[in-house]
Amino acid sequence: MDSTHPETDDDLLMAMRSGDEQAFVTLYRKRQAALYRFAQHMSGSASVAEDVTQEVFLALIRDGCGYDPERGTLSGYLFGIARKLVLRHLERGRSDVALETEGEESGWPELAVTDDPMMDLTRREGIDALRRAVHALPRRYREVVVLCDLEEVDYADAALILNCPIGTVRSRLHRARALLLEKLNQERSLRPAIGALRPVRCLS
Amino acid sequence: MNCQEFREFALDGPETIAHLQDCPACATWRRRQDSLIAGLRAMAAESQHVGAPANLEAKLVAAFRTHGGTVAPIRAPRMWAPVVTWFAAVAALVAVAFVLNTQRVPKPQQHRKPPAIVESAMADGDDSSFNSADFIPLPNAQQLAPNEDVNLVRVEVPRSTMIALGYDVSAERASEPVEAEVVLGPDGLARAVRFLE
Repeated sequence: MDSTHPETDDDLLMAMRSGDEQAFVTLYRKRQAALYRFAQHMSGSASVAEDVTQEVFLALIRDGCGYDPERGTLSGYLFGIARKLVLRHLERGRSDVALETEGEESGWPELAVTDDPMMDLTRREGIDALRRAVHALPRRYREVVVLCDLEEVDYADAALILNCPIGTVRSRLHRARALLLEKLNQERSLRPAIGALRPVRCLS
Repeated sequence: MNCQEFREFALDGPETIAHLQDCPACATWRRRQDSLIAGLRAMAAESQHVGAPANLEAKLVAAFRTHGGTVAPIRAPRMWAPVVTWFAAVAALVAVAFVLNTQRVPKPQQHRKPPAIVESAMADGDDSSFNSADFIPLPNAQQLAPNEDVNLVRVEVPRSTMIALGYDVSAERASEPVEAEVVLGPDGLARAVRFLE
């Protein structure tokens, strides 16, 4: 980061408001990736994620004064805009497309079977299975997992972004993790059944 | 601490550790939770490099420049914006309709105040006030034939008009109006005039 520019988001925003292009670029580079990933996790679509990221920063250019530092962080404010835009996309059904999940071309991943079904989650196949499980969560649970577990947004900010009490964030996260474990167990229990249907020998 | 409390408030503390030692089910649950969180962290770490396409930054910088580099001032909630928009649209439509309608009607030509017509068309036979001897034939005008239908029109003209007919008019009074009667032929052209003063 350029040493002539202040570090905090609020200072960058203030500089940006006075016309400092470099401050805008710095702020964009600092925040765009997390917003893009959030939108992609929520929508399952790279194009929607790109649109949402663009709209968030355009909104900041046009309506930057909607942000109130006393209510939360700028990052939370930007996530809040992104969330509304994603929900709008989802409501319009524009993202009713196949999830662009890496590694799905090969079908079910060949997970290593261990005594503990969760022990392989940090492996490549386990991460793919986990990603599918996150995408399959109901929206209210998916967004809390993406925010708190993947993007490491703190509970207070998450509560502001989701417009709910902190207790609700905690309980949704608790429930979301339980659902994830359930889905991973289901997926694991299906794999032997699918394997059993594989042809063993060609008779003709 | 019971199992429900443990799973709802799974914090690291003496009570939690004691419960884990006494409850194999919760110990398994905790191990799976930890594995899940580790998996989510691995998933997050794997996607750390993911971000918006590079060309998006250029687009937004262009938008920032187009916007003049300044952020719009605080605005009131825009609930009223659609109402104002529709109102403006309707007002513009009415204005356009009015202009088009006005242009269709021939606009009266803007002249100086025309000579006021005080008296018009003398009816046939009503020639009691008409004495042709009082009228001065206009130069180059066709002479009136006997029994020709005419119209008598009273007008106000500048006194300077009398100069052309041989009257003496002082320069100071040249612009004063003077009443006159004009005889119009059946073709509508002026034939003769008499001044009432």
